[in-house]
Amino acid sequence: MNQRRWRWVALFAVLSLVLGACGSDDSNDAADDDDDGDTEETVELVQDGSRLDGIIDEGTFVCGVNDAVPGFGFTDEDGNFSGFDIDFCRVIAAAVLGDAEAVEYRPLAAADRFTALQSGEIDVLSRNTTWTATRDGSEGAAFTVPTFYDGQGMMVRTGEYESIDDMGGTSICVLSGTTTELNLASRFNAAGLEYEPLSFEDNDLLRESFISGQCDGWTSDKSQLAAVRSAYPEGDGGPEALTILDETFSKEPLGPAVADGDPAWYDAVNWAIIATIQAEEFGITSENIDDFLDSENPEILRFLGQAAGEDDAVLDPGLGLPADFAYQVVSQVGNYAEIYERNVGPDTALGLERGLNALYTDGGILYPPPYR
Amino acid sequence: MASVTTRPPPWRDVRVLRVLLQLLFALGVVAVVTWLFGNLVTNLDQIGLSTDFDFLDQPAGFQILGSDFRASQTVRDAFVVGITNTISVAGIGIVLATLLGVLVGVLSLSSNWLVRKAATIYVETLRNLPPLIVIVFVFSAVILQLPRIQEASEWFGLVIVSNRTIGLTAPAFEGDSAGTYALLLGLGVVAAIAVAVWRTRVHRATGAPHRRVLWGGGVLLVVAVVGWFALGGPLVLDRPQIVGVQIEDGWAMNANYAALLIALVIYTATYIAEIVRGSIQAVDHGQTEAADALALSSFQRLRFVVLPQAFRIAVPPLANQYLNLTKNSSLALAIGFFELTQTTLTIIGNGNPAPQSIAILMAGYLVLSLSIALVTNLVNRRLQLVAR
Repeated sequence: MNQRRWRWVALFAVLSLVLGACGSDDSNDAADDDDDGDTEETVELVQDGSRLDGIIDEGTFVCGVNDAVPGFGFTDEDGNFSGFDIDFCRVIAAAVLGDAEAVEYRPLAAADRFTALQSGEIDVLSRNTTWTATRDGSEGAAFTVPTFYDGQGMMVRTGEYESIDDMGGTSICVLSGTTTELNLASRFNAAGLEYEPLSFEDNDLLRESFISGQCDGWTSDKSQLAAVRSAYPEGDGGPEALTILDETFSKEPLGPAVADGDPAWYDAVNWAIIATIQAEEFGITSENIDDFLDSENPEILRFLGQAAGEDDAVLDPGLGLPADFAYQVVSQVGNYAEIYERNVGPDTALGLERGLNALYTDGGILYPPPYR
Repeated sequence: MASVTTRPPPWRDVRVLRVLLQLLFALGVVAVVTWLFGNLVTNLDQIGLSTDFDFLDQPAGFQILGSDFRASQTVRDAFVVGITNTISVAGIGIVLATLLGVLVGVLSLSSNWLVRKAATIYVETLRNLPPLIVIVFVFSAVILQLPRIQEASEWFGLVIVSNRTIGLTAPAFEGDSAGTYALLLGLGVVAAIAVAVWRTRVHRATGAPHRRVLWGGGVLLVVAVVGWFALGGPLVLDRPQIVGVQIEDGWAMNANYAALLIALVIYTATYIAEIVRGSIQAVDHGQTEAADALALSSFQRLRFVVLPQAFRIAVPPLANQYLNLTKNSSLALAIGFFELTQTTLTIIGNGNPAPQSIAILMAGYLVLSLSIALVTNLVNRRLQLVAR
């Protein structure tokens, strides 16, 4: 009996220690801050073999994607992945491996994507992900040039609200673990408005909740809202039943990311993407690319990995990519304009104008660095 | 002839070997854990991720449904809100599930065919579904089908039902003398207990009926009513009302919280009902016959003879169900209620380190589960048969 009592005392002591530790944390803030000096350690970058070499040996790589946003990343009836972000996985595969189909897709929830990237479960994250300082820093992600400049908007049932400033005290549906959730708080707090956030893990229950009228507004990147609106069930009034408010209240540069600490792999992915923009600037499409192989323009020849001039010299910028990577990308997947028009452009269900996502020469902000 | 006991050499001595093997095993466990932990820290360092808990002081940046939590508060505060919500669901859920479970368990032994079958059908249907399905079903097929806030239905001004919030009327202290009245009620409870104890003593000494519940309740009621009039009505009914597109005042219960609570209660109650049924059946039939021989009514038989013995058997498996309910509350992340798991995942998704956050999550559930186990074990100890 006595021994038993002691066991309880011990358990209680452990419990109170645990609880005590939780409770006392608040008062130790100052002390914690002082310790920062000790914890700063020099991070050794391990250079024994880039992921790039492994992927070339393997002949395939893993791309973390979305499977629930029409136009950007989703699975069709046959279980094939398609969309704007998916096409950029194919661009990377074409550049690195010479085969656009050599990709293994891994659908991820928003909240899991950086863990998957950090742990090496995926090689590239191409899942409508916003480039932010925290993700670059704390999440250990390295973002390539943005593939899509987006902004956050608010979708409401037509006629209920005219602007976000009318929406004080409403309930707003939002995906949890996204920048959208944070921008929502910033936008409403800055305007001094109250709101109730309804955060869901995935778009399916969120849509159900919105349709049932549980929330008054649905906030997300405007491109995603357009995708959802285009697919809004006819039984509930079809796309006309919903309005996307004009206001854009955040900057959302979306693009692929790789894990920090592997510059060779980062460069390869980055330049594969730049190649699609460069191809559009040169006017090279998947249809006419073969006509450019004997172009008069040395820049184009250099870009396509062809011998330029009389000396037959082929530029190797040292990216670890094959000399003809741009040729493979454009001929197999297409240039940026083709990828855009095919997935999200005005002729698709989403009907998104190019806007910011046009070349700098057309009033947009896509500006490829020179390939030389 | 003297028998000589010689100790075998240590490598064949079973006592030495036993200790040695246990030591080796413990060392092995420590080594594996150390290796795994070192591995984690090294890998995090390699990709430049933090391995400390400084992120707890960062601003969280998001708001939480149904709480005053502001986006500018720290991640640490967000964890506190999460665990508070888990405790709220688990605490209320355990009480309601026990009440419903005991009722259904007793009914499933009823001599009325219809009642018995109804209880059995309820138990057998819900018990055989995964809890996640029950939660999502209650959310999308029950809660979301309630009227929208714009056409919310109001019942006698006491309850407002919408698929966003369910507003219940709740008592609330109001006015200057509210504090005094609360103190008075506290004193009333103490007086009621004292009277009940006194009646028990009288009963023991003289054999007169104790009626302690009646006496104690009476005392409390008198104190409450007299005090209420004397202090000018400091306790009022706080009725819910619709303000804009939200329900305010009263007890405004979030619809997602309601969905989780209902799902967990009706799911766990099926298991509790089975435990109660089994425990009642495990009480020796002679006890029932003895009660009948004493001419106790069927209620008295249940209340004074069968149930006290049944609960003695039921407590350990009940504790298990309480733990299950608490842990199943983590499935709320499917329907967007910010209990501990959903909060942690949101924190991770917003740029905070996963290993540390998950460690806090696990510690949270561990403390909760151990606390429940501690309480139920104490109850079990009290209820156990004392050999005289």
